[in-house]
Amino acid sequence: MLRVIIVFLSLLVAAPVFALDGDALLKQVDRNLNPESYELYRKLINVEPNGSKKEFTMFSVKKGADKVAALFLAPASEKGRSTLRLGENMWLYIPNVGKPIRITSLQSVVGGVFNNSDILSLDYATEYNVAKIEDAGKEHLLFLKAKNNNVAYDQLKMWVDKAKTIPIKIECLTGANMLIKTLYFKDIKDFGGGIVRPSVTETDSPLFKGYKSVMLYAGIKKRTFKDEVFTLTFMPNLDSLR
Amino acid sequence: MARLKSSLLIRLSLLLLILLPAAGRAEESYTFDLSEIEKKPYHFGAYVEARPIAFLLDEDAALYKLQYYADDPGSAVEELNGRVQLEGSYKKGKGRLYLKTNTDLVYSTFSYGDENTAIYEGHATYNFSDSLKIQIGKRNLKWGKGYAWNPVNFFDRVKDPDDPDQSLEGNIIASMDYIRSFDGPLKTVSFTPVLFPVYDHINKEFGIKDRLNLGAKIYLLLYDTDLDLIYAADGSRTARVGFDFSRNITTSFEIHGEIAQIRNHTRQTLDAAGAVRTDTSDEISGLVGIRHLTAFDLTTIIEYYHNGTGMDVDAMENYFGYIKRGFDVYRSTGNAAMIGTAQKLASSGYGRSNPMEDYLYIKLSQKEPLDILYFTPSVAAIINTNDGSLNVTPELLYTGIKNLELRLRAGFIRGGNGTEFGEKAADYRFELRAGYYF
Repeated sequence: MLRVIIVFLSLLVAAPVFALDGDALLKQVDRNLNPESYELYRKLINVEPNGSKKEFTMFSVKKGADKVAALFLAPASEKGRSTLRLGENMWLYIPNVGKPIRITSLQSVVGGVFNNSDILSLDYATEYNVAKIEDAGKEHLLFLKAKNNNVAYDQLKMWVDKAKTIPIKIECLTGANMLIKTLYFKDIKDFGGGIVRPSVTETDSPLFKGYKSVMLYAGIKKRTFKDEVFTLTFMPNLDSLR
Repeated sequence: MARLKSSLLIRLSLLLLILLPAAGRAEESYTFDLSEIEKKPYHFGAYVEARPIAFLLDEDAALYKLQYYADDPGSAVEELNGRVQLEGSYKKGKGRLYLKTNTDLVYSTFSYGDENTAIYEGHATYNFSDSLKIQIGKRNLKWGKGYAWNPVNFFDRVKDPDDPDQSLEGNIIASMDYIRSFDGPLKTVSFTPVLFPVYDHINKEFGIKDRLNLGAKIYLLLYDTDLDLIYAADGSRTARVGFDFSRNITTSFEIHGEIAQIRNHTRQTLDAAGAVRTDTSDEISGLVGIRHLTAFDLTTIIEYYHNGTGMDVDAMENYFGYIKRGFDVYRSTGNAAMIGTAQKLASSGYGRSNPMEDYLYIKLSQKEPLDILYFTPSVAAIINTNDGSLNVTPELLYTGIKNLELRLRAGFIRGGNGTEFGEKAADYRFELRAGYYF
């Protein structure tokens, strides 16, 4: 009898976790990070083991589930470069070369630990299903599985702050559970317009020992765009949106 | 005891010196000042480059004899090249003005500060909306999907396959871009009509003067594939139509291709007796290529190019033989008439960077090997599959210092007698390129 009571009580305690709709939670995480369509500015800093740094400044726009573009504003050697993502298609436009070339999600147009899929990130719910949720004290631990083979990371482990529904840490893993990189979300800030989110993302990787990359956010605003903005023909024109 | 204390103090100081910067780094905070993203209506930028080159020459090669018939540079030539590019833009409302100048400076055995300045680009853009814009002025269209060659790029200057990323001088054109996006398998359609004038002082090197040439490109993103349909009407050059495509087969494997039909192409070739023959025919040029990225960041680009307007092996051998005979005549009599004819033929087709019919391009580049950030070694090869000659270019690129690009390149230009690369003036080339962006 005692065993039945213990099992019953355990189920009662565990019920809130099982009752969570993982996909709905992930969508809420996405919305708390960014509006569905927005503009924002980012500074990306690559830090080498000896402390030397290289910085890039970008202007980014996103619309809906699968359209995102970014324009490099600095340094001078990168100014005018732009990247575009439409679902699984990615292109890089370099003013000197003049025509957009296709790039892949695992490449990095900036070097360092962040790759193109981190820079041109879509909503997590667009690319991942929630396979499992665990209770991790003050956080939910979400186990995410890529919806198809074209997604940069096969699996993610995402620690989500229960109170704020904002990710604190994400581990990016291969299908064989090998850790590729870890993202840390820090310094929650009110950007106005109801957007309260981490203003810093740091990443490190066992594949780049001693290296670190940091992304700082500014000027996040809800904004709508025409679909035509997210086309190859418009890539040289992205600066006109600022 | 005092010595012990002193030694301990020194050790502690050293430890603090080591630890303090680490502690500083650990608590380092990063700043993002909004003034860094403030948009100004104007923009100025510059690029300065120094490029010393050493050429090891092949004194028996035909193109050495054509280039240096009246000189005697010996077996090596050194050059110091300088380049300054200035750019500026001004934006007001929906309009934007853009200007880019290029100045090249050469010091070598035969040039003492030869300077050449040109406006590379200078155009006005007006965005009626995000879907419609017009551009008038000097610029490049850069049509095509190929990396080393673009047979469908009907209007621009031809890029150097040995250095395809170099910026080139544009042409004066008027064009419009109209874009529409859709849901479904057809995601994007854009239409780009082009007006290309050729008159006494406008684009005069392009072809027959006093023509207003028409061209157009239709771009489609259909089933995740980039497609372009391209047309250039008969005018300063004969009519031509083209098609290109690019598609990712997987996230790390891309295929692309181009095909162009050139109508009524006129070709001047030399026969074995040294007589110039002219023939006219419709020609097809095309390119297929792949771009692949491995999990360890090795990028491979492979392209096969068929140049329908190119010369066959006999025509090239006849040309090289003609130059060598002309050189012997010049040396024995001082008569440079044959050399002069060969130089004119160079400008009519023999002198193109890749004048023959079939080529293979292979480039391997390894990003950040051994975890050396911003360091990319690569090797590229252009192989003439008609005569087996080749040009191999290894390169070391470092971009770790802000706004500075350092490239160390070499060229191994090899082939037998009568072959394209075997008859080039130089057998080896060594180059350092230091470029700084402002």
